[in-house]
Amino acid sequence: MRLSELLGAEVVDEHGHTVGKVHDVRLVQEGPRPGGAGPGLRVEGLLVGRRALGARFGFGRGADRGPWLLKALLGSAGHDGRYLPWGRIRSIQARQIRITGTAGDLPRPEPLGEVPLHREQTEGSWRVRR
Amino acid sequence: MAQRLDAALELLDRQLVDKDGQLAGKVDDLELTDPGDNPDPPDVTAILTGPAALAGRLHTPVGRWLAKAAARLLAPGHQQPSRVPLDQVEAVGASIQLKVAAGQLDAGAGEARARRLIGGIPGAGDAAQ
Repeated sequence: MRLSELLGAEVVDEHGHTVGKVHDVRLVQEGPRPGGAGPGLRVEGLLVGRRALGARFGFGRGADRGPWLLKALLGSAGHDGRYLPWGRIRSIQARQIRITGTAGDLPRPEPLGEVPLHREQTEGSWRVRR
Repeated sequence: MAQRLDAALELLDRQLVDKDGQLAGKVDDLELTDPGDNPDPPDVTAILTGPAALAGRLHTPVGRWLAKAAARLLAPGHQQPSRVPLDQVEAVGASIQLKVAAGQLDAGAGEARARRLIGGIPGAGDAAQ
């Protein structure tokens, strides 16, 4: 599967209602995978929403940064983002993603930043510079 | 602790830079691999670069045609995207730093052919450098 197969895909809940489109794919960078198969970068979930303008400027991702005027214009009016954990996905077919539950029970995206490790991190992993 | 990053915002379209500081293409797509029978989410296993990778991102007929035409011109015989395995990545930032020279990757083929094509145009000077 490619990232491009997820971006822009329509997300539909268990009642057949459209939740929105996939605006981004949230990844988590961990240490090398077991077996020494290189550094780990794993899909964690999808950022989904109906309005894309704010998302394209980076708003609606939990910790919005930037001028307050842009935040006011794009952060509130431009994005209605929800976070779709990967475990909620039932199927991915023909640019349509079916999920369990409804749009209403999807959380808001958490801020980017550090999260507890799921896998043991060892020396040799690459790093993210911001 | 682990780091979170958003793929489209922080990876797509970033410049690939090899260990010698040479440009080695851009991040046009990512290869996601299912970990197998267990229910874990997919892993990112490679960066995909080049016109063939870009074609997959364009969901309009005109966009796909343009990308395929560029692929024929810049990378004949490379109809599959060029792969940069994730273990060749040194760091992710404003650009993607690689551990290896561009020549060691098949990702460098399209870049090298573009340089030859541009370098052959009269008056190109050092534009292809």
